[in-house]
Amino acid sequence: MIVKMSSEIPARNKMRICVVYLLFIFTICGSTNVDTVSSDIKIKNVDRIIDCSSQLVKTTSKITLENSGKAPIKSFLLAIENVLKDHISFLGVKDSHNKDLRLIETTVKGYDYIKFYRVELKDAINAGSSSILTAESVFTKALQPYPTAITQQEDQLVKFNGNLYFFSPYYVISQKTNVILNTKSVESFTKVKPFSQLDGTLIFGTYSNIGPFTEKELSVHFKNNSPFLTVTRVERLIEVSHWGNIAVEEKIEIEHTGAKLSGPFSRYHYQQDHHSGPASVRSYKTLLPASAADVYYRDTNGNISTSNMKVKKDSVELDLRPRYPLFGGWKTHYTLGYNVPSYEYVYHSGNEYLLKMRVIDHIVDDMQVDELVTKVILPEGVHNIKINFPYSITKLPDTLHYTYLDTQGRPVISFTKKNIVENHIQDFQLRYTFPTIIMLREPLIVVGSLYALFLCVIIYVRLDFSIHKPEHAHKD
Amino acid sequence: MTADVQSKAKMPHLSSDKQLTFIKLAVLSMAAILSFATRLFSVLRFESVIHEFDPYFNYRTTRYLTEEGFYNFHNWFDDRAWYPLGRIIGGTIYPGLMLTSATLYNIMQFLNITIDIRNVCVFLAPFFSSLTTIVTYLLTKELKDEGAGLVAAAMIAIVPGYISRSVAGSYDNEGIAIFCMLLTYYFWIKAINTGTILWATMTALAYFYMVSSWGGYVFLINLIPLHVLALIMLGRFSSRVYVAYSTLYCVGTILSMQISFVGFQPVQSSEHMLALGVFGLCQLYAFTQYLRERLSPQNFELLFKALVTTLLATLGTATVLFTVTGKISPWTGRFYSLLDPSYAKNHIPIIASVSEHQPTSWSSFYFDLQVLVFLFPAGLYFCFTRITDANIFIILYGVLSIYFAGVMVRLMLVLAPVMCIVSGIAASSLLSLHVKDIEPKVDKPEKKKKHENNLVFRSEVGALFVCVLGCLLVSYVFHCTWVTSEAYSSPSIVLSARAHDGARIIFDDFREAYTWLKMNTPEDAKVMSWWDYGYQITAMANRTVIVDNNTWNNTHISRVGQAMASTEDKAYEIMRELDVDYVLVIFGGLVGYSSDDINKFLWMVRIGGSTDRGAHIREADYYTPSGEFRIDADGSNTLLNCLMYKMSYYKFGLVYTEGGRPPGFDRVRGAEIGNKDFNLEVLEEAYTTEHWLVRIYKVKPLPNRGV
Repeated sequence: MIVKMSSEIPARNKMRICVVYLLFIFTICGSTNVDTVSSDIKIKNVDRIIDCSSQLVKTTSKITLENSGKAPIKSFLLAIENVLKDHISFLGVKDSHNKDLRLIETTVKGYDYIKFYRVELKDAINAGSSSILTAESVFTKALQPYPTAITQQEDQLVKFNGNLYFFSPYYVISQKTNVILNTKSVESFTKVKPFSQLDGTLIFGTYSNIGPFTEKELSVHFKNNSPFLTVTRVERLIEVSHWGNIAVEEKIEIEHTGAKLSGPFSRYHYQQDHHSGPASVRSYKTLLPASAADVYYRDTNGNISTSNMKVKKDSVELDLRPRYPLFGGWKTHYTLGYNVPSYEYVYHSGNEYLLKMRVIDHIVDDMQVDELVTKVILPEGVHNIKINFPYSITKLPDTLHYTYLDTQGRPVISFTKKNIVENHIQDFQLRYTFPTIIMLREPLIVVGSLYALFLCVIIYVRLDFSIHKPEHAHKD
Repeated sequence: MTADVQSKAKMPHLSSDKQLTFIKLAVLSMAAILSFATRLFSVLRFESVIHEFDPYFNYRTTRYLTEEGFYNFHNWFDDRAWYPLGRIIGGTIYPGLMLTSATLYNIMQFLNITIDIRNVCVFLAPFFSSLTTIVTYLLTKELKDEGAGLVAAAMIAIVPGYISRSVAGSYDNEGIAIFCMLLTYYFWIKAINTGTILWATMTALAYFYMVSSWGGYVFLINLIPLHVLALIMLGRFSSRVYVAYSTLYCVGTILSMQISFVGFQPVQSSEHMLALGVFGLCQLYAFTQYLRERLSPQNFELLFKALVTTLLATLGTATVLFTVTGKISPWTGRFYSLLDPSYAKNHIPIIASVSEHQPTSWSSFYFDLQVLVFLFPAGLYFCFTRITDANIFIILYGVLSIYFAGVMVRLMLVLAPVMCIVSGIAASSLLSLHVKDIEPKVDKPEKKKKHENNLVFRSEVGALFVCVLGCLLVSYVFHCTWVTSEAYSSPSIVLSARAHDGARIIFDDFREAYTWLKMNTPEDAKVMSWWDYGYQITAMANRTVIVDNNTWNNTHISRVGQAMASTEDKAYEIMRELDVDYVLVIFGGLVGYSSDDINKFLWMVRIGGSTDRGAHIREADYYTPSGEFRIDADGSNTLLNCLMYKMSYYKFGLVYTEGGRPPGFDRVRGAEIGNKDFNLEVLEEAYTTEHWLVRIYKVKPLPNRGV
């Protein structure tokens, strides 16, 4: 099945699809994976950057892997420290050629409480040689507002708790960690020498010779006024029409998950002084596809009249202003919809079609999404539906949707995923069969019913249905 | 019609009968489409949104009906309003409107037309005004002829008096009630003309629909008996009238009692007694006629006298007895104010405080009806020249509704259709009279005996007259369109203004505040505001309110008025008593929105002081010694320290509103506020919208002991 599929897809994507598909299969049966920690692997050096300047914690680790054993290594293990285990949203590894590597969730006997990923290397590391890999991970809700409630005028302070050392099942010879805060106002941080503070960055290390599974608390308490917007739920509806249009509608619920607002909200101060409410969100930007048209922005009470749209070369930028500024703990919800031409997303040969669209699209910069439900409504008469996802996704049962001039209903493919970040903005692929002749059905229904109506009128006017004739047919 | 004659030459391939049908159909369908289209100004300018206050309640109940089904709707006890009393919605509304839109919605859902229930509600009134246009045509056709029908239909399509209550988004009972009313009249005229039970039953059904949709059905159930009474008096009583009225009354009354809000009123309340009395009179009259045919004149005389005396005596005692024992309810305040416009003002402040219950000014007659005001007497004249049963009805309807429209602005709505019908008759009669003159004289020797040939310049005068009337009608069209676009098409939930550079500024503060309430307050929070905003808060913010626009409990509203008019600590007691969590006020001082709570404040004082518990609130305390209502430094001390004042002007003393003015300059009242530097003790500002139009305060909990 995989082979058949790949043969029709451009070569560039061939590999990725395979990887993705395998990943998908493996994640399903992931619980059965058991690995062992190879003692042959040593980590020569780790350069770790922890970016805490937004609401997300993004780490980038440059790992120099060394094979001190005899046999070549084909895979190695990455571990997630306990503090951050529940916060991980995305993990990706690239090799020195900047190619994505395949990741499989796994377990190690004796370390049940730790989350492991096995990284399958493309080029095996031979005995005695080393290789440089880059691991990227994104953690959501790892920054805790502290204090948890602030007044309107106060800055938002957050606390980050992590591991001072690179958490690994292997021996790490030397390592260095940069924590990017983008602010000089740091209340406190863990002080383990050697360390230094430079502009908005904390530098820890170099630390040498750290054993496997070493955990030491790294705690940073600092000012972070960047928007703490959590999208608690998105419902993304994609309605495909073969008359040339794809309608996209997103129902979005957003909450400010930073420090809660305590005490009154003073509109006077908020208007008078633009620095008032530093932690509040007045507006944010959403990027739509460049071909998006007929954009609407509304909620259950109607149109939200505070937004601007800028058409750029590669995207449409929406400057969305919620009806009210969002302070900590305040929520809002809205519906954003637009149309895109179908020729950019639907490919076909004969009656076979391929729909390539994003699982989720950009909502806010550095977004964190708690729950996503995407529904794809296909035209009536579509069959033979197959879908491929770029990463593991829970598929929901198929349903039918009835709208204008439908008789059998349109198939709806829906799927859901939790804990999503920007790195998850990737395409899914949906292939289906749609006989072109079915396109004619809807116009025929209209024509037919109008014809029937006129026929009835003609019959009614021509024929006399009265049982008996009234004596005075005309009054005058 | 006149156009028919000219077009005959252009369409030679159709027979004249078909041409006539074609032209009638064309004119009528164009009028129907026009009446739909002209009501869409607000949708095009703003969006498809529900307007004003009451429509929000109707919208909310309709949504409930579509979601929960009819039986749940019927048994609905609403705990979101009138906290802590609640309101039985099913038994206290006219459900016709909601049922109509829910039915339309369900039909469309069945046909897979996935239209939103909000859009059904928004476009219901325009849709029904299209139907009204058609019914007007049918009714006028029954009264006069098809030509008059077409003119009347064209007129009602755009008459501002009707548009004012039926623009897209104005989702209120009146929108469909006018259609029901005219439909009932049409069937009634049909029934009177034919005397068949079929048409009389149709009348009863239409009447039932009318009862289910609007409280104004009382007008109808008094007008029809009055018509019958007039026919009896004029000696035009016939078996046709007897059949029509008896059927209508029996079937209609039983049907109308099925509406739980109406209940037993048709046989108990004094407003319905005319109908009952006339029904009895009909029976007696018919019986008398029957006896008169059978008996000798002497015997009949004796019997008649005896019967009349006993009957009058019984009726008199029964009426007195029932009124005393309360079986016949006393006349309600709204009905009194119809008969005596000053009644409400003197007795019930809550009725007088509503602007649409004010007496109509002369100018608004012209504003709402324009040329119809002048055509109406002419139409009446034409009706009088050829008296029929049907004409008597329309004369009665016209005269009565003119009186009622003069009493209450809102009843202009009832007047508008009859104005159109009578003016349609006038315009059509006048035109057909003079168009004949324009045409070159056809030799008709037998008609020469008439006065026609006495006139000089007959065709010129005719042409001139047609031109003048044409100009008047054209000006009517322009006037109507202008009025619709300028006066009746603002949703009032979204305000718009022009900036200095001509760009349009939208003030969307109401929805901003309601959405804030909905999203950021606890689900069970109680919101106190003046009753005007009750429906909007429950519909848009989905929060419990203390009072709303269904002003059924005067003491409860009075309690809120007292809270607004008291000092902070007194108000705190009332707010604790009512479990209030949030207080919402409308304040227009920053942007110059004049219908805000400070301008309504005197009504709060009056209503607050109208009950026993509010006896300490005296209106005079809120005026300056010279009797002025001022918010500046010269204003009364009581006003400057009451809760409403403080909530409206909290922190406003720091704001510069206009260049060259001191801070705290109120742009509505045109004065610098008198009390600037104060803090709120028992409330804290929870939210204020962008243009300060809506201010929401949170009621602080009781302070901890010993702090």
